[in-house]
Amino acid sequence: MKEKYIQIVGIALTAVYGVFVVFLYAAEPRSLEELTAKAVETVQNAATKGQVITGTYEIDKAKFSEGIAAFRQENYPLARDAFAKSDPERRDANAQFYIAYSFYRQGWGRVTNDDVMFRQALEALERVNFIDKDFRSGDADLKLRTPAELKNELEEGLRVTADDFNPLKVLRERK
Amino acid sequence: MNDALKKFEVVDGELVEVDDEDHLLIRDNSELQRVAPEIHERNILYLRYVIIPIVFLTVAMLGGLRISGLDGAFVFVRPALICLIFAAILLILFARSKVLETNGWFSESFPMLKNVANGFVIAALFAAATQVFNSLIPEQGLMFWIVAFCFFWTLWNNLFADFDAQKLFRSLGALFGLAFVAKYLILANLTAPAGRTWLEALMENPGQEAVTRLLDLPRFSGATGYIQFFAVGLFLLGLYLLPSRTSD
Repeated sequence: MKEKYIQIVGIALTAVYGVFVVFLYAAEPRSLEELTAKAVETVQNAATKGQVITGTYEIDKAKFSEGIAAFRQENYPLARDAFAKSDPERRDANAQFYIAYSFYRQGWGRVTNDDVMFRQALEALERVNFIDKDFRSGDADLKLRTPAELKNELEEGLRVTADDFNPLKVLRERK
Repeated sequence: MNDALKKFEVVDGELVEVDDEDHLLIRDNSELQRVAPEIHERNILYLRYVIIPIVFLTVAMLGGLRISGLDGAFVFVRPALICLIFAAILLILFARSKVLETNGWFSESFPMLKNVANGFVIAALFAAATQVFNSLIPEQGLMFWIVAFCFFWTLWNNLFADFDAQKLFRSLGALFGLAFVAKYLILANLTAPAGRTWLEALMENPGQEAVTRLLDLPRFSGATGYIQFFAVGLFLLGLYLLPSRTSD
């Protein structure tokens, strides 16, 4: 084999082995079994990042459908988990809007709201605004279809006003 | 003219024709001698660009590997910044003592590919040196600072000393040997085993427990010492195989 071919083989081997060593210290697997699992996870993450860079990123539609089904059954933690898995890079406005909405619905209470859930909903809404400022949901089941409406509802829920002590408030409906 | 003639080596023998074009056979005193300079050169290239980087990267992989004393899990300890500084000083020492001749590894007259390939070898050497220091310096606590200071003192003095490759290797051998004994024999034996309750540790071996807590010694399995012995040995083997220059 010519000198330059041996040099190319050497460079390639060193680069691959070097990347493997760096991966080991970054992933810190605790056993040989975990090493395989972490390698698969890293490859998947790299593939998703590659899709984002090349502009071919798409959500996992099967997971998204699972999320919608769970959302309709009012199983909001499961729905959020499915939405999060369908959009690991948090780049789909629709999935992020459903996550925000699931926080709102789970946190809504006839007498008092769960402030922690409402704040998480606001965080998810910020992501929606960041991804698509003109986002509008096409889901007829949702009464608040835009981030602005949902944000207003959430902020109203977080604010303490004299209206909160109105006994008729228990008659209001979740949107 | 006479001086020039003396430099040539005269082979007195009969040339023999063979099918294999890679080899030249010479009949000398009825014995056939096989001369294959190309194979020799090829082996040197394999050694330089394939085997040596693999040896150094194996050291880089193993140098930070510890085995947990509690459940035998892998623990990958990333090198502290000081290890990178020590590795850089070590490479300067190699250059000063002609263990590595800089202009024999990198030159404008070399093809770019050769310079790049040599760069990868040196990068692998740097990674291995970093991890050897990571291996030999205690991970944390007071002992980390004491041993790191001793390393720094020795390397810093060597930086200004007038010495050759042999003296450097003797100095490094002594330094690495002492550090290995200090960490993996003395400190490892002073460390209390993991997985015992506070009360058990105090009842069974209060001395070890006190030293472990006082010096903040990590509780690794005994297998760690074996792995690190192998890693340091591989590093020294890599240095032995490393040529001082790649140009003819």
